[in-house]
Amino acid sequence: MGRQRLILLFIAALVIGALVVIWKIPTQLGLDLRGGSQLTIQVKPTEQVKEIKPDDLDAVRRVIEGRVNGLGVSEPLVLTAGNNQIIVQLPGVNDPIQAERVLGGTAQLDFRKQKPGTEARLQIERQQLREKIAKRDELRKSPDVSAIERNQADLKATNTAIAELFEKTELSGQNLKDAYPGATNSQNVWDVALQFDQRGGELFAELTKSIAGTGRTLGIFLDGAPISANFAYSVDAKYAQTGINGGSAVIEGNFPIETARDLAIQLKGGALPFPVEVVENRTVGATLGRDSIQSSIYAGLGGLSLVLIFMVVYYRLPGMIADTSLIIYTILTLATFNLLGVTLTLPGIAGFILSIGMAVDANILIFERTREELKAGKTLYRSVESGFYRAFSSILDSNVTTLIACGALFWLGAGLVKGFALTLALGVVISMFTAITCSRTLMLYVLGFPSLRKPEYFCPNLPATKRSEAQLSS
Amino acid sequence: MKLQIIRQRNLWWALSSALILAGLAGMFISWQQFGAPLRPSLDFVGGTRLQFELDCSKPGACDQPVDVAIVREILATEGQANSSIQAITDRTGKPVGVTIRTAPLTGEERTKLQTALSQKIGDFDPTKTQIDTVGPVVGQQLFTSGLLALLVSFAGIIVYMSLRFQLDYAIFAIVALFHDILITTGVFSILGLLFGVEADSLFIVALLTIVGFSVNDTVVIYDRIRETITLNPDRHIDDIVDAAVNQTLGRSINTTLTVLLTLFSIFFFGGETLKNFALALIIGFTMGAYSSIFIASTLLALWREKTGQAFSPNPSLDSIASSDEASS
Repeated sequence: MGRQRLILLFIAALVIGALVVIWKIPTQLGLDLRGGSQLTIQVKPTEQVKEIKPDDLDAVRRVIEGRVNGLGVSEPLVLTAGNNQIIVQLPGVNDPIQAERVLGGTAQLDFRKQKPGTEARLQIERQQLREKIAKRDELRKSPDVSAIERNQADLKATNTAIAELFEKTELSGQNLKDAYPGATNSQNVWDVALQFDQRGGELFAELTKSIAGTGRTLGIFLDGAPISANFAYSVDAKYAQTGINGGSAVIEGNFPIETARDLAIQLKGGALPFPVEVVENRTVGATLGRDSIQSSIYAGLGGLSLVLIFMVVYYRLPGMIADTSLIIYTILTLATFNLLGVTLTLPGIAGFILSIGMAVDANILIFERTREELKAGKTLYRSVESGFYRAFSSILDSNVTTLIACGALFWLGAGLVKGFALTLALGVVISMFTAITCSRTLMLYVLGFPSLRKPEYFCPNLPATKRSEAQLSS
Repeated sequence: MKLQIIRQRNLWWALSSALILAGLAGMFISWQQFGAPLRPSLDFVGGTRLQFELDCSKPGACDQPVDVAIVREILATEGQANSSIQAITDRTGKPVGVTIRTAPLTGEERTKLQTALSQKIGDFDPTKTQIDTVGPVVGQQLFTSGLLALLVSFAGIIVYMSLRFQLDYAIFAIVALFHDILITTGVFSILGLLFGVEADSLFIVALLTIVGFSVNDTVVIYDRIRETITLNPDRHIDDIVDAAVNQTLGRSINTTLTVLLTLFSIFFFGGETLKNFALALIIGFTMGAYSSIFIASTLLALWREKTGQAFSPNPSLDSIASSDEASS
């Protein structure tokens, strides 16, 4: 009895712990439930590079991440998928048109020339830009949507103000062949080297000649907005006669390596290392997502109550025990989702609700076996024991086959399918514990009360002779 | 109640064959109409599906259903004449918006279309918009990975069942699974022809779940057949199968019933997205229970009879000794 009590305490502690977890750690909801946009970007090989290697894909991911950060979306997520795809999740975005343009590679990089007489204003605006970009990066992980929106509006205003101080030139990202960080003589001070094509080299020479030594700057813009906080550069007076010619240039920004690398990536971003295409776009409005959450809750509660009622009506006292285990199952599973950070999607919730129906299967097998043993004339205690013992192999076999299918779904499926497989598989594993260990412990505990030790509570319609027999020897 | 499984087996086989044939006919007709055994959703063939709901907070905006003719006209001017359009209502039957399915649209094309629609129909509520664009490549990829997953799980189950039971048990379990999958697919192809029900990526998920779950009932019955054989090696296989099926009938029905309860709950309350998914599972799981009881077991009995294994070959002391470990 001591051991049973120990397990009972353990289960109680587990349930309390699970409730705390559910209370403290928020459930991660997928974009189809919270509303938002998921874009799948396909990276295509080029004539020169026929195969996309993991390194290449990662380079593209970095570029895309940089661009996504520029969108000012709360908690964006950029992942590589498979050999040549990148998935971008943008929570709260109802119309991803801007994202599609920027991420799809249609964004334009261009080099502009500062208008005369704007030096003082540019100083102020640059300071503003720096502060707001710093603020944006700080807000990136924050769920405070209104702060992000404010920051985004501020940033836009500053960007427009800055854009007005510059005039367009013919030089665009298409003329830029390459950009890469280069080491300098000093330690941890890096430059960014630029390489233009022939026409680009001529245009760049012309552009730099016109501003060299004037204190006015050359600005680099992406889609009409400054490419980063380090977007404007002045040109040394020594180039006043010729401009920077030869088709290559070095941005001497005294950068640390990270900044140099990011800038190089952003510059190259004007011309991504590979052509990309948005091949999938799944967008769900926030209100629709909320509706889905609500209907899932109804479906979940409906399913749970139907199963609870069925079990108690059909199986009586053991049914009540199965119900208790099922409620424990529900709590533990939800806590596990939160604890492991499983992102719940609509199919994931379906998998979870389905697993509620499957979780009692083990109990059904056990109780049916118990009834059989009772009908065969065994004592109540022995019937219960062998019910658990003999049903185990069926339970194991049937759960393993379900897990095999879940495994296949998880490894080979994508996105939503994975979510379903994961929740179903977790459900199956946890139900093994609740339906067997929990039910068994509770059952043995209940059998400790003489008033509950009545075979008819376990098996209605038991022939009278068997009944007395069973009771007598229990 | 006692089922005469073996004696009535011709009836069960005829019933299953009729269902499968009807399904195959449906798939054949679908193939001629859509080039696929089922009416494919945009997950597989690519395209854009847009769902716009009117901004009902504005007075009078949601009084009348969206005029499909106007939408069709706008689509025609945008070069999307071959689109399907459907006006949608909310749960209370109030007209709220429209869904449109077109060829894959780029962001620009979509915005242009949306602006044109808003001008004619009224403002849409951006938080109730749903956009799905799938390129044809993605659909292909989804289909192949789904098919691969199906094959892998079949293989996994054959291996596991052969390890736990014997090869012939495993093979008939798989036959029963094929039966379930074929009937579910057949029913969906007929539903696709009659009511326009589409097979999307969730349908593949449903098929895989059916594979994982419906073998459960078969396992329970097989487990009992094995146990009965070891306990009574001198009984005829027909007799054993009959007894085993009847003894496990309660649990076969109840395990399926509890799952069906949750599925019906998803079907009725779970929202539009999950409706067909739940329906596929309901059909598949019901078939799973049916095929375990009536198909997998009778086929096993027939096979053992025809191969001269109607009686357990060696009722050795080992098997009797190990019968204590056998189970329900």
